[in-house]
Amino acid sequence: MRMRLTLWLVVLLAVPVSLFAAVQDETNLDIQVREIAKTLRCTVCQTENIWESGAPLAQQMRGVIRERLALGHSEAEIRAYFLSRYGDYILMEPPKHGVNWLIWVAPFLLLLIGGFFLYKEVTHWVRDTPTPPSQPLPPLDDQARKRIEHELES
Amino acid sequence: MIIEIGHFSVIVALVLSVFGMASAVLALKTRNPDWARSGRMAVTLIFFLLSVGMLSLVYAFITRDFSVLYVANNSNSKLPFFYTVAAVWGGHEGSLLLWVFILSLFSTLAVWLHWRTQPAIMPYLIAVESAVMFGFLCLIVFLSSPFERLLPVPLDGKDLNPLLQDPAMVMHPPMLYMGYVGFSIPFSFAMAALFSGRLGEEWIKVTQRWTTFAWMCLTTGILLGGYWAYYELGWGGYWGWDPVENASFMPWLVGTAYLHSVLVQEKRKMFKVWNLFLIIVTFSLSLIGTFLVRSGVLTSVHSFATDPERGLYILLFVGTVIGIAFGALILRSNKLKSQVEMDSLISRESIFLFNNLFFLVAAATVFLGTLYPLILETLQDAKVTVGPPYYNAVFMPIALGLLFLMGIGPYIPWRKASIASLKKSFSLPLLAGAVMVILLLVTGIQNLYALAGSYVVAFAGMAIVLDFGKISQLYAQRNGSNIFQGGLAAFTANQRRYSSMITHIGVLVLVVGIIASTIYQTEKVVSMRVGDEFAIGDYRMKLTNIHEVAGGNWNAQEGVFQVFKGENLITELRPQKRIYAATQTPTTESAIYAINMGHIFLTMPEVSEDGVAVARGVLNPLILWVWGGGVIMGLGVILNILRPRKKEE
Amino acid sequence: MNKGWQLTLVLILLGLFALFYKGLWGDPRHIPTVLIGTEAPNFEGPDVETGQTISLAQFKGKVVLLNFWASWCYECKVEHESILQLHQLFKDHPDFVMLGVNYQDKLPDAQHYLQQYGTTFSHVRDLKGQLAIDYGVYGVPETFVIDQQGKIRHKWVGPITGEVYTNITQKVIAPLLTSQPATRTS
Repeated sequence: MRMRLTLWLVVLLAVPVSLFAAVQDETNLDIQVREIAKTLRCTVCQTENIWESGAPLAQQMRGVIRERLALGHSEAEIRAYFLSRYGDYILMEPPKHGVNWLIWVAPFLLLLIGGFFLYKEVTHWVRDTPTPPSQPLPPLDDQARKRIEHELES
Repeated sequence: MIIEIGHFSVIVALVLSVFGMASAVLALKTRNPDWARSGRMAVTLIFFLLSVGMLSLVYAFITRDFSVLYVANNSNSKLPFFYTVAAVWGGHEGSLLLWVFILSLFSTLAVWLHWRTQPAIMPYLIAVESAVMFGFLCLIVFLSSPFERLLPVPLDGKDLNPLLQDPAMVMHPPMLYMGYVGFSIPFSFAMAALFSGRLGEEWIKVTQRWTTFAWMCLTTGILLGGYWAYYELGWGGYWGWDPVENASFMPWLVGTAYLHSVLVQEKRKMFKVWNLFLIIVTFSLSLIGTFLVRSGVLTSVHSFATDPERGLYILLFVGTVIGIAFGALILRSNKLKSQVEMDSLISRESIFLFNNLFFLVAAATVFLGTLYPLILETLQDAKVTVGPPYYNAVFMPIALGLLFLMGIGPYIPWRKASIASLKKSFSLPLLAGAVMVILLLVTGIQNLYALAGSYVVAFAGMAIVLDFGKISQLYAQRNGSNIFQGGLAAFTANQRRYSSMITHIGVLVLVVGIIASTIYQTEKVVSMRVGDEFAIGDYRMKLTNIHEVAGGNWNAQEGVFQVFKGENLITELRPQKRIYAATQTPTTESAIYAINMGHIFLTMPEVSEDGVAVARGVLNPLILWVWGGGVIMGLGVILNILRPRKKEE
Repeated sequence: MNKGWQLTLVLILLGLFALFYKGLWGDPRHIPTVLIGTEAPNFEGPDVETGQTISLAQFKGKVVLLNFWASWCYECKVEHESILQLHQLFKDHPDFVMLGVNYQDKLPDAQHYLQQYGTTFSHVRDLKGQLAIDYGVYGVPETFVIDQQGKIRHKWVGPITGEVYTNITQKVIAPLLTSQPATRTS
C-alpha cells in the first residue's frame, strides 16, 4: 500500500491529477489487517480496539500487522505475537482459559440458578394457594364484555 | 464577585441540608408539623441557593472569566456561546454541581406536590433527600469546588474538550442525571415506607409517574450518548460497552425491572420486599455509577484525574447510603411476612418474575464485566480487557429471552391462563415469527442471531397488534363505530396499558435497528487522491476536492465526496478532519446521508501533506430504526405520564 | 427474605466495598508485564545524535538499561535528572550499558531535547514503533533492565524517581552487576 502511494507521488509530480483518477479499492491485505486489528486492544486508549483508535501507537500496531501479514505470517501467529508482548490485556475479550471461564459462563449460570430457584418458589406458592372453585367458562360474548369492563376499571 | 456569591450560596445550601435533616428528624420525633414545614422551607431554599450557584457559574462562563479555575480549564475565548453554557457541566466539578442541583429541584417539586396528600411521608422524604444533597454538597464544597479562583489570571482558557462541543453532548449529562436523580424520589418514598412500616401499595402508586419520568430521562440520556458516539467518535458505532456507558446502563436495567414488577404489587399486592429491593438497587447503582465515573477506579475514555482522596470520600458516602438502605430493608423484611398467592406458573405475575430475573441477570452481567478487570487485578495481578465482543456474545441470548417474555407478558391473564386462551393469544404470533424467518431465509439472510432476533421481534410485534386489534374491534362493536374509533376508545380507556405497548413497539423497532446495523454493517477504508473514487455496496464515492475550512475555534480539512448510485449523483458528503486551535486536538467529523432508513457514513481520518486522503465509508442499514425506536419509546412514555388521573390514584 | 438471602446480600455488599476500596489505591496504569524472564528482543536503529547504527546484539554479555522516552513527554523531563544520575552511578562499571530509546518523535525535536537537557549516553531512534511494540511498551517513560544473558529482568512504567530510583539501582542493577562473575560462565 505504502509502496503504491509513494509510486503515485513520484508520478503525480509531473502529470496533471485528473489523468490519474482511479477507482481505489481495498486489497485482501487491507481486509485481513482490519479483521486482526479489530480483535486487539489499543493499550493506551480505553476499551477501544486498534482499528477504531486514532492513537499513534494503534497506527503503528496496524503497521506491524500489515508488515507481518506481508511476510506471510498467519492471523493466529500475529495475534500470538502481540499476546507474547502485551499479555491478555491486548485482547478485546478475556481469553477463554483458567479463571476467565467464570466470567464467560456466569451470565448463563446465574440465569439457570435463578431460574431454578424461581421455578421452585413459584410452584411452591402455587401449591400453597387454595384453588378457587372451578367455574364453567362463560360464553365468548360474556368474556368479551367482561374484558371491556375490566379494561375500563383498571 | 458574582462567583463568590455562587460559592457562598452553595456553602449556605450545605448548612441548610444539615438543617433539613435535623428538622425532618425532629418532625418525626415531636410530631410537630412546624418542623416538617421548616424542613420543606430548607429544601426549597437549597434549590434557590443552588440555582444561584449554577447561574453564577453560567455567568462566569458567559463572561469568560478565566480567573475562575474551572472556567479556565473548561472553556476558551473562542468557544461558541452555545457551548459556554454547556461547559458548565463539561468537567468533574461542574457536573457534580449539576447533579445536586437537579436533586434539589426534584426534591422541592416532590415536597410541594405531595405535601397535602402524603403528609406522613414528607419528613422521611425531606430527611433522605437532604442527606443525599448533604453528601454531594460536602464533596463540592470541600473536595471539588468549581468556584476556585486562579492566580495569576491566564490570558485564555484551556478550552472545553472538543469531543464535548456537540449538541447531543450538551443534553446528554442533564438527561442522564435527571434519570439517576429521578429515581431518588421513589427511593425516598421506599425508605419512608421501610422506616414508618407502612408497606402498602400507596408509595408505589404515588411514585409511579416519578419512576416513569426518571426512566424516560435515563433512556433518553443513554440514547443521546449513543447518538453522540455515533457521529462524533467517527467509527460508525453507537455503543462501545465502555465502563462509563455501562455505569448508566446498569441502573437502567434494574430500573426497568422495577418498573414492571411494581405492576404486580399494584394489582395483586405481592412482592413488597422485592420491589423495595429493586428500587434500592436501582438508586444504589445510580450512586455507584457516579462513584465509578468520578473516582477513576475504572479508567475509561471519560475518566477524570485519579484522586484517591476524592474517590475515598465518594465511596464512604455512597457506602453509607447503600448500607443504611439495605440495612433497613433487611431488618424490616424480618417483620414482613408477605402473603403470596399464586394460582399458576403460567400467569402474568409469574411472567413478571421471570422478566425480573432476566433484567437482573443482564444487570449482573454488565456489572461483572465492568468490574472483572478490577477483581482479577486485585486477586491475582493479571489484567484483561472485557470489551464489546464479550458483551455482544453473552448479551444476545439474554436480550432475546427478554423480548420473548415481552411478547407473552402483557397478553397472559393475571392469576391463571388456560391452555385454550394461550392457544388463542399466541398461535398467530408464533406463526408470524415463523413466516418472518422463512421470508428472511428466502432473501438470503442466514445469520443465526438475525434470524432468532427477527423471530422474536415478529412474535412480540404480532402479539401487540393482535391484542390491540381485538380490543379495538370489541369497542367498535359496543359503540357501533368503526375499528379506528374503537381503537381510539380502547386507547383512552386504558391509556396506561396501551401507551406502554407503544413503548414496547419502540423497543422492537430499536432492536431491529440494532440487529441490522451491527450484523449487516459494511465498511471500507481506502487511500485516495482528488479525482479518485471507491465503491461501497451500491454506491460510488468520488473525491472531488479537499479544501481548508475554518470554524470559530477550529480549522479543518474538508473532503468533498460526490456519492453516486449507478450514474446518478445522489448527494455530496463533506467529512472533516478538524484541529481545535486551543488544545491542538484533532477530531474526525463524520458526514452522513440517510437513505432507505439506513446511513451512508463517511469519515476522512487522515490527509497526508502530499494530498493523499484516507477515506472510511460505512453503510449502516436500518440505523434510523435505532433512533426511531428511541423516539417511539419516548412517545409511549410521555403518553403514559400524561394520562388522565383516575379516581383511585 | 430468609436468613440465607440476607447473609448473601450483606456479603456481596461488603465484598464490593472492599473491592472498590482496594481499587482506589491501585494504579490504573499498572499493567503486569509478561516479558520478565524472556529473551530481550534484538533491535537495530540509528543513533539520535550521530546517526550510526546501534544494535542490542553489540552489548551481549552486559547489563543493559533501556529507557524509552520522547521529547513531548512530560514525565520524561521529570525523570531526566535521575536518569543522568543513574548513569553516573554505574557508568564506570565495564559491564553496564545504558541506552535511551526515542519513541514516536521527530528527529529535530529529539536532538533539541538532548541538547537542552544534556545526556551522557547513546539514544536509539525507534523509527516505526516496532521496537516499542516488541517490548510491549504502553507509553513513555518506560524502563527495562536486561541481564548478562540477554533476559529481561525488570520493567518499570513511569518516571524513575525517588523510591523507584532507589529500588532500581540497589535492588535490580547492583545485584546483577555483582553476581556477574558467577553467571558469566553460563
